[in-house]
Amino acid sequence: MRQHSHVTARVTGRRSDPSALEAGGSKDSADPSLPAELDRRFEAIVVWNAKPRAVPPELIALEGIGVPVVVVAPFSFATPMSRLAWSTTSAVAGFATEERGGADDPLVDMNDDDFALGETEDVLSFVLRELWKRGVTPGGVLLLIDGAVELPQLPLTGVLRDAVAAVTGPRHPPPPEGVVSLTGGDPRLHQVLADQLVRRRRGSLPEFDGPPGWSLVVEGSDHQHERVHASLLTVANGYLGMTGAPVSPVSSQEPLVLVAGVYDGEGAETRLLTGPGVFKLTGTRSRDGSSAQVKRRLDLRSGVLYERATVEAGTVESVRFASLAQPGTAILRVRCPKGFRARLRLQPPAEDPVHDEGRDGGSCWMRVAATTGGIVAAATQTRTRAGARGSTLDRFAVYRGDPDDLPERSSLIEDLARLSHSGFDRLFSEHRQAWAERWEDADVIIEGDDELQLAVRFALFHLMGSVADTNEAAVGARGLSGTGYRGHVFWDADAFVLPFFAATHPPSARAMLEYRWRRLSAAMMAAQDGGHAGARFPWESARTGYDVTPRRILDRSGRVITVRTGQLEEHIVSEVAWATRCYMDWSGDTEFALGPGRRILTETARYWASRIRLEPDGLAHIFGVIGPDEYHEPVDDNAFTNVMARWNLRQAAADPVDAVEESERCRWLELADALVDGYDPDTGVYEQFAGFNQLEPLIIEEVAPRRPIAADLLLGGDRVARAQVVKQADVLLLYHLVPDEMVPGSLEPNLRFYEPRTAHGSSLSPATHALVQGRTRDFDRALESLHLASRIDLDDLTGTTASGLHVATMGGLWQALAFGFAGLRPHHGVLHVDPVLPPSWSALAMPVRFHGSRVRIRKERAQLTIDTSQPIDLMVGSRRFDSVSGRLELRRRGSEWEPST
Amino acid sequence: MSKIIAAIDNSAASRPVLAMARAVALALDASLEVLHVVEDGDETARAAAQASGVPLRTLTGDPMAVLSTEMDAEDVSVLVIGARGRPAGRRPAGHLVMSLATRSDKPIVVVPPQFQPPDHLSTVLVAMEGTPGKARALQRTIEVSLSAGLQIAVIHVQDENHVPSFSDQVQHETEAYAKEFLARHKVAASGIRLELRVGDPATELLSAAQSEGADLVAVGWPHSDDPNRGAVAREILNRSPIAVLLMALS
Repeated sequence: MRQHSHVTARVTGRRSDPSALEAGGSKDSADPSLPAELDRRFEAIVVWNAKPRAVPPELIALEGIGVPVVVVAPFSFATPMSRLAWSTTSAVAGFATEERGGADDPLVDMNDDDFALGETEDVLSFVLRELWKRGVTPGGVLLLIDGAVELPQLPLTGVLRDAVAAVTGPRHPPPPEGVVSLTGGDPRLHQVLADQLVRRRRGSLPEFDGPPGWSLVVEGSDHQHERVHASLLTVANGYLGMTGAPVSPVSSQEPLVLVAGVYDGEGAETRLLTGPGVFKLTGTRSRDGSSAQVKRRLDLRSGVLYERATVEAGTVESVRFASLAQPGTAILRVRCPKGFRARLRLQPPAEDPVHDEGRDGGSCWMRVAATTGGIVAAATQTRTRAGARGSTLDRFAVYRGDPDDLPERSSLIEDLARLSHSGFDRLFSEHRQAWAERWEDADVIIEGDDELQLAVRFALFHLMGSVADTNEAAVGARGLSGTGYRGHVFWDADAFVLPFFAATHPPSARAMLEYRWRRLSAAMMAAQDGGHAGARFPWESARTGYDVTPRRILDRSGRVITVRTGQLEEHIVSEVAWATRCYMDWSGDTEFALGPGRRILTETARYWASRIRLEPDGLAHIFGVIGPDEYHEPVDDNAFTNVMARWNLRQAAADPVDAVEESERCRWLELADALVDGYDPDTGVYEQFAGFNQLEPLIIEEVAPRRPIAADLLLGGDRVARAQVVKQADVLLLYHLVPDEMVPGSLEPNLRFYEPRTAHGSSLSPATHALVQGRTRDFDRALESLHLASRIDLDDLTGTTASGLHVATMGGLWQALAFGFAGLRPHHGVLHVDPVLPPSWSALAMPVRFHGSRVRIRKERAQLTIDTSQPIDLMVGSRRFDSVSGRLELRRRGSEWEPST
Repeated sequence: MSKIIAAIDNSAASRPVLAMARAVALALDASLEVLHVVEDGDETARAAAQASGVPLRTLTGDPMAVLSTEMDAEDVSVLVIGARGRPAGRRPAGHLVMSLATRSDKPIVVVPPQFQPPDHLSTVLVAMEGTPGKARALQRTIEVSLSAGLQIAVIHVQDENHVPSFSDQVQHETEAYAKEFLARHKVAASGIRLELRVGDPATELLSAAQSEGADLVAVGWPHSDDPNRGAVAREILNRSPIAVLLMALS
């Protein structure tokens, strides 16, 4: 019988869920005398003492190998640290108290005057929340509570129910149901802690213990979908991406490895270089086919891929990740059944030849050379006997990619040794914490739609994995999850991906702009080559910053056709400027604004000033371009291109670099004012380009068997070029990007006109429509568009997810939620908030960073809560709130938001 | 060594059948045997076999039963047969072909009467609908054709109901889609090109066969008498000016 393979987008992961993927450590009993509830590996230990006392040495040892531990004890500032016998250099140890307390490196700053904990459950909730911020879910926490501690709130409620609680020592009355009673006093406590130590030393595997809505499960392995699944299960850290093909020998598929920004080839043939594989477990025969018994679970919260596979020798379980804490490193832990061999051997890259390779003692290395630069990888592994059940194998890998020079293998030796010395548990803990910190600033909560909730987290996870936050970030169309689109960087990186980072993790947005900034001179050369001034950023960009768009290709019928987007799709110039403004508006990064930011805006404006033609009638035009609607080419006065150019000119004129003469600045403003935009005041509709209204009035909504549909394939390119069939949001996108440039109140007539004419043949289109439909409160259509955008990769709606994930669509999904539903917009140093909530949702909550302040917005029915960590100016609806710090609670009264009390 | 059997009738249509059978046998390094089930004489069949330099074995009985028995022989790998019988025949050959194809697991090459086969096969066009079962049947064709040194062009035609939802950047989308399609159907060997078309499947297939200069079009054939199944293959059999290879679908 055939094993079906499917992706489950469902709530899974509780320990009671039989489908949960538990790793081998869970039942690897180190001490059979312990109760069944404690017969597993825990990810954090909380010891609650009734009085100050020495910390058990086992706990200190656990902390020493990277296990988060917490001691809760009543002590005052006067309590000498020596009484606790604690290492004050501990990085992760923490203390909480019902009174007040402190430590040199505490879990929380106890000196904060606002810190106060009251009831027992408050203390535990506080501790679990802090652990959650470090990537430990309540399900992974063991609470060891001194029997003398008063627990009036037991039985545990809320998140506390998910933790395993045990009372040590005598207690009267006995602990309530759900709490384990450990008789035997201190020896028993030491025994439990020692058991956790033994498990770590034996190489226990972490188990997935995440809450619902945080994981993606793929069961089985079949040849039809394996490459799609591998893309979906990619683990990446912005520097290094590894697809989620099984590492067990149940399939001949191997994880694809990519290092950001390392390209091979020249011109249009430039493509991302593929790196050596390090995780495939070779040495045992692979078994392709539908009978493969394998299950993989991607933990979105921790960026960890769990795998369990049945092979001839038994069950192979593994945990792998590309460390977010140490980009460039990847770690695999495998529980091998007895007799299962897994020699360390690097696999040649998927699509490139090996330059050289070798062994250094116990490690292997391999290099892959690009036209310039290349990738070197090195790996080592250790094996730990785990009794009769087999062994545990830890594999540590380091990657270096350099776009300019082929890295030397010697550059990895020290890092590899350090990695191996740190050990799996510490690296795992660091990685998990790094992801938790990212989620603190990114997680979007949608209450009332579990499927969408998971899909949104899936999208945000892959967005965060696709973009580095240091140096420069070249974000290709498929991120680090595949070689599709050759890794080329398009406009969608600037207009769809960057805003998410500008609002949640500014260093990544800055790195994306650094990529453009470092290629400004290439863009200026390109402008000059075309007879223009300023900077002309390329439609497709890779290593050098010169255009790498293929010019001639074979189409689906095998005919050679000319591709003109590289020459004519010039609106990308404005999108780079827009991304620059977007970053500056969110971050308030004045250093960047006064340097690269201002220069990019100036040079892009100069390009448009030289590109625009001012006719004798006083009107200015841009002739011969391709707009986002690529079904029509070339066109004159594309509304999108013109309005974006107008915005670009005005932005630059408002704050030019010093070298700009006043006459040039005035010229920009004159041109901006003279640029036609196709707006018809009688209809309230912008004509998409000159002559669009004279085309055949074909309503694709009425003639197509369904939408979305690639109308150019359905009707043929010539037919759509002669008709009012639009590929994707063109005019409508302006209402998101530059709403101030649009005639007030004109969104609805344009939405009514263009949406039925839009085929949505671009994967970017549904998210943009969800955004503008959200603004117009057309919730039925907005949710339909939103769901469609959220499923493009999960359901492989393009048939190309195997070549990588559509990261721009993922960015578009976030934008639809942030700008369309939450109504967020940074503007002149003020954060605008104007949320709307579909009737089927009970709440929408999301964090952003605005000018350095952490801002949390939560919209419920008629209630809005905004928390800020630093004073910021807010505009909520039409009401302004200056210098808001802390919590602002508002209620909707009529059309206005008013403070609750 | 496997054997190709060419089933010829007593008409001029036997000549292209024999020529195609020789080309197939050459490509597959197989022996060739020519059969004729006598219904209304054998003069023309004998003359055609003699002209080809191949001995003719005549048989009697119901053509369907006789040829089925012959195809079942272990060493027979392919049957080559004419597309149509003489109008005066008791049964139209088209019916015979379809009955044999429905009954047998073995490939059948159907040769139109006006087709002029090449001395050496060079290009095979393989039509893939995109479903796993059908793909498996045609994978064997591709493997055999590749081992015979033939050029392979795979064509996937999407009708109106199966047009992709999205096509972002044509300069990359086609490449990505084609790469995955070939990988998904295990035909990602070097030298195989995928042609993607949208429209009426039979029309597009035959158009592609012409533009590719194909000697043979390979299509899947369902094990079913249900006229609603295998509609595209039936239409190709009716309209194809070149030989058609019917591969049994599991």
